[in-house]
Amino acid sequence: MAEDAGRTERFLRHLEPLQVALEAYCRRSLYDPNGVLDVLQSAVAGTYRDFYLYVEGTNFRAWVFRYVHLEIQNANRKYRRDRHEELPADLSVEEAWNLVLDEPLLQVLLDDPGAILDECDAALAEGIWGLAPQERSILLLHAIGEFKYREIAEILQVPMGTVMSGLARCRLRLRARLVKFGEERGLLRREGR
Amino acid sequence: MNCHEVRRHWSLYHDSEGDADLHFRMGEHLADCPGCAQWFAQQSRMEGLLADKLRGGEPAAAIWDAVLTRSGLAPEQPAATQRWTWVLAIVAGVLLVIGISWFASRPPAARGHDLAEVSVKWHQRLEAGEETLQFRSESDLAVEDYLRSRVPFPVRCPPRKDAGFAVQGAGVFRIGDQPAAYLFGHVDAKPVSIVVLPRDKLDAFPACQQALLGDGTLHSREEAYEIVMAGIDRNAVMAIGQTDVAHLDRVLHAYGTYPH
Repeated sequence: MAEDAGRTERFLRHLEPLQVALEAYCRRSLYDPNGVLDVLQSAVAGTYRDFYLYVEGTNFRAWVFRYVHLEIQNANRKYRRDRHEELPADLSVEEAWNLVLDEPLLQVLLDDPGAILDECDAALAEGIWGLAPQERSILLLHAIGEFKYREIAEILQVPMGTVMSGLARCRLRLRARLVKFGEERGLLRREGR
Repeated sequence: MNCHEVRRHWSLYHDSEGDADLHFRMGEHLADCPGCAQWFAQQSRMEGLLADKLRGGEPAAAIWDAVLTRSGLAPEQPAATQRWTWVLAIVAGVLLVIGISWFASRPPAARGHDLAEVSVKWHQRLEAGEETLQFRSESDLAVEDYLRSRVPFPVRCPPRKDAGFAVQGAGVFRIGDQPAAYLFGHVDAKPVSIVVLPRDKLDAFPACQQALLGDGTLHSREEAYEIVMAGIDRNAVMAIGQTDVAHLDRVLHAYGTYPH
């Protein structure tokens, strides 16, 4: 009993600082907004079940995110909306960058991002849902989980090159989405107009 | 490295990825090329704001209570103890009111303290062995992983031996009501602590917060200890020790510059 209590206490000590990030990752990743509780519960139960495998000093953060990621995948499959579409062939980081390098409105956005970002909740959410599932996971693990490329590759079980190219594409697509949003709302104007 | 290459690899530099040579050459170019430096700052700012936006949103406080209860990790209390829980809650409420009144009548404590002073005191305790290192390791990667799993804010790789810092361990302590990470090691065989806080949670230390708005490095002295502080990425980082300021400077600026 005492051993169980100690294990639980140790597990909760590891989990507590990650709760906000795990919840945000779930909220941003799940098609069903009502599924956050179920997904977190399943992931926490699974992580706790296997906690005896965890070695102190290793990467608990990546470990628990992996469980949450798998539960999100399952939940999204059940919810049907996961599009199962083929990911576009990987672009190199350079090629991806060239996609919008000369976009003049992007520069206007970069000059004053606050003007758009303060208004863009829906557009940003839409931009994220417009990403392929794997790219979305890469972006969110990087932004919310604050993981290194190597850790993201391990969590998603993909090569590190896929993480790099996926992240580069996500960045471009989100920026493109924000530029479009800013243009539609009249928040971004080409210089000289 | 030329401007085109810098702009092609900016994300690796921003994310602290890629090899050390790339970082060194990009750092050199950015220091010498105001155009690229401005361009990079814009990209970084955009990424930072986007990440903040993605992390944002109101966390539902009740969710984790429900998750832990349903996972059997926060067992419900048996009915027989619930009466006592009420009694205890009332007593706790009365004590809380008394406590708040007492606290309100006190002069401000930790908030009035200077961040450097609090950190130096912690360093002194580590140095004197009054605090044991929560995690003892000479591996910068192991130390980084340890801290990342224990603090709710981003931390980066500790400085390594090539910057003159021999890490011995790390841990977490509290400054006011905020968790702070510390790294402990040696510079020139003298004990040095590196304290890391989230840059956006320095409300209790408005003077430091104000000073860190710029990109400079702050130097101060507390008793016999030299203190060097800077805002690095999303951290406020402070190096403390009785050693040469230039060496502390070098150590401080090596914080988080290493890719895996």
